[in-house]
Amino acid sequence: MTSMDARKFLPLHANWFHILLSLVGREQHGYGIMQEVQERTNGAVKLWPATLYGSLKRLISGGLIEESEERPATELDDARRRYYKLTRLGKRVLELECQRLEEMVLMAQKKRKQEAC
Amino acid sequence: MNPRWSICLSLYRYLANAFPHEFRIVYGQDLDRLGEDAVPEAWRRHGLWGLVRLVADIAVRLPIEYLGEIRQDVVYAVRVLARSPGFAAVAVLSLALGIAMCSVILCGSSSVLRPMPGARDPGALVASRKGVSYPYFEHYREQKQVAGGATVLLVSVPFAVAPSGGRNARAERFSGHIVSPEYFSTLGVTPAAGRFFSPETEKSGMAPVVVVTDRFWRSYLNSDPRAVGREVRLNGQAATIVGIAPPDFQGMWPFIPADLFVPVTCGSLLAPELAGDPLHNRDLEMFRMVVRLPHGVSIKAAESAFNAMTLALDRQAPDADRDRNPKSRQMGLMPAGTFGLTTPEQRAFVYSFNFVMWVLILSLVCANLANLLLARGSQRRREIALRLSMGASRARLVRQFLTESVLLSLAGGVAGTVAAYWVAHMMTALPLPSSGPLQADFRPDFRILALTLAVSLVAGIACGLAPALASVRADIGLALKEGGQAGVPPGSGGYRRFSLRNLFVVAQVAASLMLLLVTGFIVTGYGNVTRIDPGFDTHNLDMFSLDPVRDGYSAREAETLFARLPEQLSRARGVRAVALADSAPFGSLLVHTQHGRLSALPRDGDGRPVWCQAFSERIGANYFATLGVPLVSGHEFDIRDQQSDAPPGTATPAVINQSAARALFGGENPIGRLIHQDAASYTVVGVTHDVRSGWLPAIPVPTVFLPLTAGGMARSRTPSATVLVRVAGGTAPLAAVRDAMASLHPDLTIFNVQTMSGNLNQINAFAEWSTTVYFVLGLSALFLASIGLGGVTAYTVAQRRKEIGIRMALGARGRQVQGLVMREGTALVVVGSVCGLAGALALKRAFSAVSEPLAKGFAQPAPHALLLAGAPLLLAGLALLACYFPARRATKIDPVAALREE
Repeated sequence: MTSMDARKFLPLHANWFHILLSLVGREQHGYGIMQEVQERTNGAVKLWPATLYGSLKRLISGGLIEESEERPATELDDARRRYYKLTRLGKRVLELECQRLEEMVLMAQKKRKQEAC
Repeated sequence: MNPRWSICLSLYRYLANAFPHEFRIVYGQDLDRLGEDAVPEAWRRHGLWGLVRLVADIAVRLPIEYLGEIRQDVVYAVRVLARSPGFAAVAVLSLALGIAMCSVILCGSSSVLRPMPGARDPGALVASRKGVSYPYFEHYREQKQVAGGATVLLVSVPFAVAPSGGRNARAERFSGHIVSPEYFSTLGVTPAAGRFFSPETEKSGMAPVVVVTDRFWRSYLNSDPRAVGREVRLNGQAATIVGIAPPDFQGMWPFIPADLFVPVTCGSLLAPELAGDPLHNRDLEMFRMVVRLPHGVSIKAAESAFNAMTLALDRQAPDADRDRNPKSRQMGLMPAGTFGLTTPEQRAFVYSFNFVMWVLILSLVCANLANLLLARGSQRRREIALRLSMGASRARLVRQFLTESVLLSLAGGVAGTVAAYWVAHMMTALPLPSSGPLQADFRPDFRILALTLAVSLVAGIACGLAPALASVRADIGLALKEGGQAGVPPGSGGYRRFSLRNLFVVAQVAASLMLLLVTGFIVTGYGNVTRIDPGFDTHNLDMFSLDPVRDGYSAREAETLFARLPEQLSRARGVRAVALADSAPFGSLLVHTQHGRLSALPRDGDGRPVWCQAFSERIGANYFATLGVPLVSGHEFDIRDQQSDAPPGTATPAVINQSAARALFGGENPIGRLIHQDAASYTVVGVTHDVRSGWLPAIPVPTVFLPLTAGGMARSRTPSATVLVRVAGGTAPLAAVRDAMASLHPDLTIFNVQTMSGNLNQINAFAEWSTTVYFVLGLSALFLASIGLGGVTAYTVAQRRKEIGIRMALGARGRQVQGLVMREGTALVVVGSVCGLAGALALKRAFSAVSEPLAKGFAQPAPHALLLAGAPLLLAGLALLACYFPARRATKIDPVAALREE
């Protein structure tokens, strides 16, 4: 995997960004992703079911996420649900997208400071 | 449950169930469950708006998912086709060939039937089948209930045009129409500049005026912005340009485009065609009438109204008791708003001929495509079974096949359209065989192209779907186990049963043979008779035409000129012999109207006269000597015959050809015998060899040559003559003629200056070109048939790998296996050939019945016998060759590998 492979996904679609962010550090099922995105954004971003699964399908075919074979502890596991996790490419793409967004924020801040002066 | 939730959930489930099969397999359950979780939450957080958004989200995603799958199908189809470039190329090529052929054949031959450009609602225009006199026309045009507008015209009238003021300036010849003042208003044309004619402005005795076309304005007047009001000299008379026609208007029937429009009131001084006072002479029925029918009025109704008017006018005439045949006085009308004027009979023939050719080519292409796709579909049974067992839905597989077929058809359609435009462009650029200007528009007709494309597309889709539907219904287990053999009943070899595929092969061979034979009949028969074989030495023979009256000569001056010119010219350096004729040799053969009825009485004067139809040509002294055609007996006209008419009471001399002599006198000597044409009598003074000169007649036709006298020419309404000059060998072509005329008569415009070889080449060029088109058509039919047969045989061999393997394992030799495959191919080719032969003969008979030219062309016995035997043999040979390669491949099958594979 090269940096070029990852860069072709940039700029990342907002839905994809939120899904990838939800999978950082842990596996999640579809409903969990939906809930987390809603909570994290205070309801500003709502991933409806069809959009969510359409995005998950494309993220899988793009190699950014994959289905996880590991299951959480039995008491937490919902056997009927499918879990997803980030791939190495997915992590790299998310990293690059975050960098891109940070740079944009920095640029905006710089501009604002210049205007203030 | 909240009723709103329940409605929302039902809708959600309904839409979720409609998602593509493969999506449902992976995400279906999750999607359903998430929906069930999301409904109460959406209601809780967002209320009714939340439920609406939930349903809207899934409704929007549904087509997106399907589009994604279609995209995948297209990518997959491109990959599949790229993996079999041979199949793809052959399928696209056969489609492209078929579409191009259909389009060019149909559009080319019906180009004269297209609507006339530049006129308003040309479909409402009708023309009289016969000529009408101007006094009668003045009454016809008043029949307002059937004539929304009416005009009369003379077409293809030559005008010698020179700039005004310069009397010595050399004139150029242009073609024009002599029209009644209502011409432009009847056609619905408005001027681009100036004004058009009207009954108020155009009256007899007024200063001559002319309207010019945009083309004339650009080429001759150099786009002069002050052209309106400018004077030009027409046939030596000053005429003022009063208007310029719009760019797309080139007169009525622009197949022979006009450059000038002159009103009938201009007088015979400007237009010799108007000699004899045709505006007041009711017997001069020389004008073609064009009528605009009001909306809702039929041709029949208009004919009835005009017939009633004709009868009334005939009765009022001073010579009302004159014996007029009521039948011959019937006014016939025919549609006229087309590119060229054609009779309804010609139109019906063109349409039926085109339709049959179109059906034949298209059925050939469809059968070809069907064979290729069916064979390929059967070969992919194992692939289909594998994909079905991996979870692909049947609908998805059918869609996949459909995508491949549509892609193939579209590629073929695009290639065919490009090819059709290219061929049309080439045809339009071809010079047409005529001394005057002709223009033809061979551009593909959008409707014909669209119909051909649609039929090809439907055929492609249907043929692609058939194997897919059959395969997805087949037993997966059996298909995986038996591969290509699945679905074939035990013991039934590919060709041995009556199947759709076999039917297609037979249809394909039959259609190819029919096409090959019909095009062959046209190429050998029609092509041979249209080719003129003069039978004399055309080298060192130059010709040109003269029209002295249009150059300002009086009738007396023209008579003197014609009497002296042969002698004057023969004294010029390099000139060996000179002769005059009323038209170029073979020129009269291009038209059908020169037929006349010749008759002769038996030698003893008793009994019924013998008669025959004959061409009539007017020729001057030394005509045959100049051409180099020897006389069989008697002598040809000498200078005395040319200089003066025969004295009253004596019969005019005539020369006839051998065909006329045979028809009128059998084996008797015709010299000195009397022949009659209309009311005139002639004495036969010579008999000439038949010149094999058929433009359309297949055999030499009886021809009578009458003396072209100087007085007769000068008295003619449109006196013009063609001068034939035999020059010494080594003389530069045409140079001697031009030099001699420039020094003898510098004031005369000589036109149609060409060598006899050039003239013949021009006449033959179009015939050669059109026969080449049909030849290419026949070759393409052969090519298409070979492709289809090869494809089917290859498929059969592939399907019977196992059987062939077993046969070879049991000791069958390669030659025996090859023989088996070839035998079965031969059976189909024979059945198809018999059907094709019968069909072609039926078509030949049908075409001969409706078209005289084709009947004459088809009447050539020798080449057709050769063709009837040769074409099926050629096709069978090619078909068997197409069977041979797969058969040979069959012998290379390794029995062990074939049995293990299956």
